[in-house]
Amino acid sequence: MPLDYQIAERTLANGLRVVVSEDHSVPNVTVNLWVKVGSRHEVEGRTGFAHLFEHLMFQGSRNVASGEHFSAIMGAGGRLNATTWFDRTNYFETVPRGAMDLALWMEADRHGYLLDAVNQENLDNQRDVVKEEKRQSYDNVPYGNAIIDIYAAIFPKDHPYHHATIGSMEDLDAASVQDVHEFFRRYYGPNNTVLTLVGDLTPDEGFDAAERYFGSLPTIATDARALAYPLPPLPGPLRDEHIEVVPSDRLHVAFRLPVDNTPEFFASSVAMDIIGGLATSRLYQRLVRREQIANGVSAHTMGLVDGVSLGFIGIDVADGCSADVVEAAACEELVRFAAEGPSDVEMESAKAQSERGWLSSLASQEERADHICHHVALHGDSGYINTFLDRLDEVTAAEVQQAAAWWLVPESRAVVAYLKQERVAQ
Amino acid sequence: MTQHESVVERPEVSAPEPWSFPEAQRAELANGLGVVSYDIPGQYVISVRLAVPMPLDREPREREGIATIMARTLDEGTARHTAEEFAQLLERKGIALGAGVSESGLIVDVDVPKRNLGEALDLLSQAVREPVFPGNEVSRHIKIRLAEIDHEHAVPGQRAALEFISTYFDPAERASRPGAGTKATISAITPADVAAFHTANVVPCGATLVVAGDLSQVDVVSEVEDALGSWRGAALEAVESPEAARAADAARIVFLDRPDSVQTEFYIGCPGPDRRVEGGWAAYQVLGFVVGGSPSARIDAVLREDKGFTYGIRSGFRPRRHGGVFLTSGSVRADSTTEALGLLLEILDKAREGFTEAETQAGVDFIGRTAPGRYATADTVADEAAGLSLEGLTTEFTTASLRALADVDAQVLTKAYRRYVTGEWTVIVVGDASLFAEGVRGLSRGEVAILPA
Repeated sequence: MPLDYQIAERTLANGLRVVVSEDHSVPNVTVNLWVKVGSRHEVEGRTGFAHLFEHLMFQGSRNVASGEHFSAIMGAGGRLNATTWFDRTNYFETVPRGAMDLALWMEADRHGYLLDAVNQENLDNQRDVVKEEKRQSYDNVPYGNAIIDIYAAIFPKDHPYHHATIGSMEDLDAASVQDVHEFFRRYYGPNNTVLTLVGDLTPDEGFDAAERYFGSLPTIATDARALAYPLPPLPGPLRDEHIEVVPSDRLHVAFRLPVDNTPEFFASSVAMDIIGGLATSRLYQRLVRREQIANGVSAHTMGLVDGVSLGFIGIDVADGCSADVVEAAACEELVRFAAEGPSDVEMESAKAQSERGWLSSLASQEERADHICHHVALHGDSGYINTFLDRLDEVTAAEVQQAAAWWLVPESRAVVAYLKQERVAQ
Repeated sequence: MTQHESVVERPEVSAPEPWSFPEAQRAELANGLGVVSYDIPGQYVISVRLAVPMPLDREPREREGIATIMARTLDEGTARHTAEEFAQLLERKGIALGAGVSESGLIVDVDVPKRNLGEALDLLSQAVREPVFPGNEVSRHIKIRLAEIDHEHAVPGQRAALEFISTYFDPAERASRPGAGTKATISAITPADVAAFHTANVVPCGATLVVAGDLSQVDVVSEVEDALGSWRGAALEAVESPEAARAADAARIVFLDRPDSVQTEFYIGCPGPDRRVEGGWAAYQVLGFVVGGSPSARIDAVLREDKGFTYGIRSGFRPRRHGGVFLTSGSVRADSTTEALGLLLEILDKAREGFTEAETQAGVDFIGRTAPGRYATADTVADEAAGLSLEGLTTEFTTASLRALADVDAQVLTKAYRRYVTGEWTVIVVGDASLFAEGVRGLSRGEVAILPA
């Protein structure tokens, strides 16, 4: 179905790209900023820094006290947060229309004048908080570090995606106030940022407000390095095995995929769904339903910009079954799919489920703003939210087969296996 | 270039514009099924929820978890289709169908692009009216549930939650045992049991079907009538169970030993109210925010922003059908275990001394002014309506609670907190007991039992 979310775009004199999407269904405005810096820009010895820096953005700026960003916005009826990822860092809040100006003023203050407030105490405190985030999400839960192992296995050692956004404890320890200053000056500026406003406002109101609060922020010197050379599929299979105290064996079968926002990426993403993502996927049907040698199968596709993307299939091995047998069966299905390609019903199912997923994600102003920022910041395309489904619809069965035959074959897999300790010890 | 002085003066926040919860249209079919719809323009994915009241204490004691197994196998084979065929029928139309149970009942969720609403209602109808519970599908879901139990025990937060209910509630109460059953009770379930449980409990009379989304050009009642109008089933006698009793020895500390944990997980609770509490539910929503709902709330202002012990600890009043629990949970750096637990209990106890007008107002504004955004999408509206229907409430309750925020001041908040929080905490700690159990004992906050995690 054709989508027609309203999109208006303008670039301020200092380089800030502003997108406004008018939608009066709720008396709110979502403010969303994408800064084009993420963990792929980090240097050796400073992994995790982009994310630690994001935390410091909540610790005050020239006219905002430490912690006030949360308290002032939430107290005005806003919901807010920030996230860091390989390719970008984003900051967002959804506020009642009457608090939009406050939100923009606070964002401009920290995006322009953060360094006035950064100090050793703030840095030390947020370093501790981030280390607890890492322990909570990765180190203290079963399989928590699998995703980090997947990145390390699938991307070469010197590649920007080799290390996870959360970074290492040692590198977090090494971060200094000086690093914060240098990072801010290098990456945080209006011409390295996209601002999207979605909600109860007109484009002119949005552009005027952006100009009022962000117009005086100075342009920075950008020295964007060239993107990494496109990576081909892994030349041969890799295996990274962990024998740990986990409740059951879990396999992660990972692949390199083509760069995001390309027809090849869309085709590979449809292939991932048909192989492992749908409730009727090849692997779910065989491993979970028919042979019952796995309890669950899931597929994850991460579109990235720096020469390569990532896809992996998670398989929970059923108790008493062999992880090797499960992996061999999965490989058989990969070979079969690459040879025969998808059926008409599989294509129909993958597209229908993608459509619902996409429409659901556009249902809220928050996510819509995030999608807009994403595609303007990383692909220069403010109209993506309206055209994605049409582009997906153009993907053919032949393209899906071709993508699978090139990217999703057993010879190009990296398997990160978490195997239950006690059984191996017997 | 001169230094850029601050941009412009700090803007004032102007009063929010009026907003009200989406308006419901209500009808009842001849078979007793309630139909509630919310027309929300621009919401192109329609959310359908079928809520069937089914208190968990209807499960046979030795087959607990049967409601969960039934919910998970509703679409795994019906009179007309095998499990694989059914999954394919759903996916070809972009339909997501899932089902789960809570303390109060079964909710079947369906999300579907608007143009396929008719097909979705038809498949929903087949799943709830004609499931056949094939032996191999039931046994497969039993195996999956058994593995899930091992996984729940391995994740510290979930492990803590399981220990909490068994410590907090009287062992005679259903609430003291896992909602989705234990290994022993799950293993005992047969396909015939599931079919019998389904026949006895999944009936239209008293159930509610919620439809939310862009409903222009959709005749909801007629579509629902087509799909579910011929559904029959005897109404069940409603037996209201009283509030689940707290265990006589609930006010104590259980330390679950999880050697080498790099963090320690806390799960702390005491009684709380249900939604029908005298004086209103609104104050308790505000309390959750003020005590443990943000990085600036009382707990994280100290444990996160000052001490750096945690990524975040959350508090909130969790209403049950009758009565409720005030819960605080989260994890801290292992070597801060003793100090963090001491501080946490001190903050929770000290809040009895009262709340300031400023923090009260911030909480009132957060709960009230975030409502338009929290209920902006079809799925959140449908979830709210379906969940409340199982408690015998409608979204009028949501509207009334939001309106009642206007009467919540610091005095009301303090009184509401004191009414339930008396310092008699049930505390679950999951961490390395060999290193920290002595320290926790040293806090003198009650008897400390050490058990394996």
